[in-house]
Amino acid sequence: MKQILTMVFAAVLLLSGFNADAQNKARRKSFSSWENYEIAIEKVGTPGTKFVKVWGFGKNVDAAVMAAKMNAVHACIFRGIPASTTAMATPPICSHPDALTSNQDYFEDFFSEGGPYLAYINMTTDGVPSGTDNRKVKGGYKVAIYVQVLYDNLKKKLENDGIVRGLSDGF
Amino acid sequence: MKRAIIIAALLLTTTLGWSQAKKPTIMVVPSDAYCERNGYVQHFKTMGDELDVPDYAKALKQDVDMRDLIAHMAEFMAQNNFPLQSLEQELKRLQTEDAEMAMMTGKTGSEIDETPVERLRRNAKADIILDLDYQIERNGPRQQVRFNLQAIDAYSSKIISGNTGLGTNSGAPLPLLLGEVVESFKDNFLRGLQNHFDDMFRNGREVTVTILKYGNCPFDFDDDIEIDGDDYEFRDWVEEWFQDNTKEGRFSTDAASANRIRFTQVRIPLYSQNRKGRDVAIDANDFVKPLVREIKQKLNVPVGATPRGLGDVWITVGDK
Repeated sequence: MKQILTMVFAAVLLLSGFNADAQNKARRKSFSSWENYEIAIEKVGTPGTKFVKVWGFGKNVDAAVMAAKMNAVHACIFRGIPASTTAMATPPICSHPDALTSNQDYFEDFFSEGGPYLAYINMTTDGVPSGTDNRKVKGGYKVAIYVQVLYDNLKKKLENDGIVRGLSDGF
Repeated sequence: MKRAIIIAALLLTTTLGWSQAKKPTIMVVPSDAYCERNGYVQHFKTMGDELDVPDYAKALKQDVDMRDLIAHMAEFMAQNNFPLQSLEQELKRLQTEDAEMAMMTGKTGSEIDETPVERLRRNAKADIILDLDYQIERNGPRQQVRFNLQAIDAYSSKIISGNTGLGTNSGAPLPLLLGEVVESFKDNFLRGLQNHFDDMFRNGREVTVTILKYGNCPFDFDDDIEIDGDDYEFRDWVEEWFQDNTKEGRFSTDAASANRIRFTQVRIPLYSQNRKGRDVAIDANDFVKPLVREIKQKLNVPVGATPRGLGDVWITVGDK
C-alpha cells in the first residue's frame, strides 16, 4: 500500500513538473511570437505621450482589455506605431531586431501579470468597450481600447535599465 | 586578490571616464526657403549680381511662432541631455564680441590682432544643423502646420534625419498646434540622431580633411619627392598614411590635384592616446596632428592645421 502511494505521489509530481514546463514553454512561445495585434495612433499633443487605439484578445472582456494594454506597451517598445494623417510614425524604442531575445528574462518580468508595464499606461475611460470595439469571436473576446502610453517615461525606464542606449550615452 | 580586483576596477573606471567622445553641438537654423518666403533676407549687390542672404537675427526677433517651435525643440533635446545651442544667443555673443574687440587695447595701447580670415571664421556654427521650415495653412476658421525638419551633418553635408508632415487641421490656438507638430516628429527625429550616433560609435567619426598648398611650397602635390630614400608622388604618400590610420582604411579621395587634395568620408577613431599615453577623445584636428608632424619632419617644410569644427580640418603645406 505504502509503495503504491509513493508511486502515485511520484507520478503526480512528475506530471505537474511536465505541466509547469509545458506552460512555461507555451508562455515563452507566445511571448516570442507576439506579433498579431492591431494598433493605430489617434493623436499626439500631450508632451511625452501617445494616444492610441489598440486591440486585445482574451477569454473574457477583462482579459482582452489587459491584453490590449500589454499590446500598447509592446508596440511602443518593439514594433513602433504606424503614421496617421495627423501624426508621423513612432519608431520602436528598441530598434535592434534581437532586443527581445537578448533580454528575454527582463521583458518576461516586465510584462508579467501586474508587472511594471502597467505604470506606462493611462486608460482614458474605465468603462467596458462597447459597439464595434467589443466583438465576440471564437474562443473569447476581441476588444479595442483607447489608451495613453507614457512613451517618454517608458523610454527613460529602458535607458536607465540598460536595455537601450540614451541619446547622450558615450559623450 | 580582492585588492587587485578593486584597483583594476578603479583603473577601468578612470579610463572610461577619460574615454568620453567629443560631444557634437546642435543648433536650430531657420531654412533658407523659410527666410526667403517671409522676407527675412538681406539684399547685396556684388559684381552686378543681386544676392539674398538669410537674415537669421531678424527672423528670430520677429517671428514668434519660430521662437515657439525652437523652444519646444530645445525642451525635448534638453530632456535627452543634449541641450541645443541657441542661434539667437550666438549671434548676440558675436555682436558683443565684435564691439569689445574693436574697443580693446592693452596697457601699452596695442590692439588685438585678427586677420580677415580669422574674423570670417568667427561666426555662429554647430556640428549638426537642424534646418527648420514651417508654414501655416489656413482653411476657413481652421489652420494646419506644415513642417520640414532636416538634421544635417555640417561637415559631410549628409542628411542624418529628415522629417516632414502636416499637423492637425484644427481651430485650436496656434501655439498648441505648433506644440503638437513638434510632438509628432520628435521621436522619429531622435531615432535618426540615435542611428547617426550609433553608427559613429561603431564605425568612427566621419570627417573631411583638405590639404592646401601655399605658393612657397617647394613641390606640387603631384610631384615625385624623396621620402625615406624612395620616390613617391606626395598625394600617394599621403593616401597611404590615411590607409594606415583611418578606421578599417575607410576614406574617399574627393579631389587630388597639383595644389589641393581633399579627403571625404574619412572614418576616424573616437579615442586615441596622447603623448603621455592617456586615452583621450579626438576630433579631426587631433587626428591629423601625426600627419602634420610627419610632413614637417620628412619634407622639412612648414605645415599648419586649421580646425573648422569637430569634423573638418585644413592642412596647409608651405606655410602656416
